[in-house]
Amino acid sequence: MGLAGVDMVIVPATTGQMGVLPGHVATIAELKPGVLSVHEGNETTKYFVSSGFVFIHANSFADIIAVEAVPLDQIDANLVQKGLVEFTQKLSSATTDLEKAEAQIGIDVHSALNSALTG
Amino acid sequence: MAALRREGRRFAPLISPRPITAVRSSPIAPTHEDEGPIGVRYISTQVVRNRMKSVKNIQKITKAMKMVAASKLRAVQTKAENSRGLWQPFTALLGDLPSVDVKKSVVVTISSDKGLCGGINSTSVKISKGIHKLNSGPEKETKYVILGEKAKAQLIRDSKKDIELIITELQKNPLNYTQVSVLADEILKNVEFDALRIVFNKFHSVVSFVPTVSTVLSPEIVEREAESGGKLGDLDNYEVEGGETKGEILQNLAEFQFSCVMFNAVLENACSEQGARMSAMDSSSRNAGDMLDRLTLTYNRTRQASITTELIEIISGASALEG
Repeated sequence: MGLAGVDMVIVPATTGQMGVLPGHVATIAELKPGVLSVHEGNETTKYFVSSGFVFIHANSFADIIAVEAVPLDQIDANLVQKGLVEFTQKLSSATTDLEKAEAQIGIDVHSALNSALTG
Repeated sequence: MAALRREGRRFAPLISPRPITAVRSSPIAPTHEDEGPIGVRYISTQVVRNRMKSVKNIQKITKAMKMVAASKLRAVQTKAENSRGLWQPFTALLGDLPSVDVKKSVVVTISSDKGLCGGINSTSVKISKGIHKLNSGPEKETKYVILGEKAKAQLIRDSKKDIELIITELQKNPLNYTQVSVLADEILKNVEFDALRIVFNKFHSVVSFVPTVSTVLSPEIVEREAESGGKLGDLDNYEVEGGETKGEILQNLAEFQFSCVMFNAVLENACSEQGARMSAMDSSSRNAGDMLDRLTLTYNRTRQASITTELIEIISGASALEG
């Protein structure tokens, strides 16, 4: 959490990756699990966000509120694979709608984690 | 048998078999006279000594409690300060409208489970009751959701029918966002509301805790306010991405806002509780110290009086024998 002036931010909105530059139109967007990258000069810092919201204000201020945000280098690839396998199994053995939905969410998050680490 | 009687007898387990007079914590000497075997009178300092021992123990206990509260405060304080950034964007976007006119408002009162923390829980309850009164009218109604034992004890007495949910033992495990979001989920599912008012004690510093009210509006009310202009009128300038309808996104937004504000409120209240406990225990140990000083003076006076009495009796006895 902090205030910083950067060049560009790429946020994983529900409608896809969205690039935010100064002067972007005011927007409220919901985030899906994915990679958030902050570009400042030549440096890029990447975080994995579980979900949240992004408010882009008209004065070129953007507020990103995430439930959980982890820098990419702190994610363990093995655990991600294991989680993916586990949730895929749960989906195939799920009976009620609730279980299916929960398993699907798990799969979404883990595959996003996976692609974040590889991509 | 010269037993001095005072009002308000207290049964103290003292050594003497005589009926014991009550001892009050006044600087006036709580002496009591006893008769010895051959009619020698002596004044016992036992009562004062027992009292001094218990006051000293109380002083030690309250000092220890103060230090425990100080260490707990340090732990929660960093969390609370970090969580402030969670709800600030929401307020920047949607504003905080305590004066919004709604039909159904729900007051979420956050209090502590344990006592001995000064007056913070009473102030929260007072404010909740005030809001309730403000929002009661022909078409309006207010309900309570209570977090914490202390508010429950106070509100259950006169507002029992207005209470929707009671949640206690929040702090059994260290506070984290997951726990609070589950709580927020429960409240959102079970309680119908147009506006949620969260009453808690905001932590400004170790000696200052301000009772605050944060308002979270339901999506319908947000729409209504946006159309009527004012701060929320700018909301329409924002394009809403994703989702089928704007309403869906606003719904998610309101729920997320609620859980963020709750998280911050619970943390701030925990900080205020520890800070208030620190200052309460501090004044308690200081009082105990004062009491101990006064009792020591009394003890010395009693002791000297008994020595003097004994001397007088011996000398008068001796002079009676001579002369």
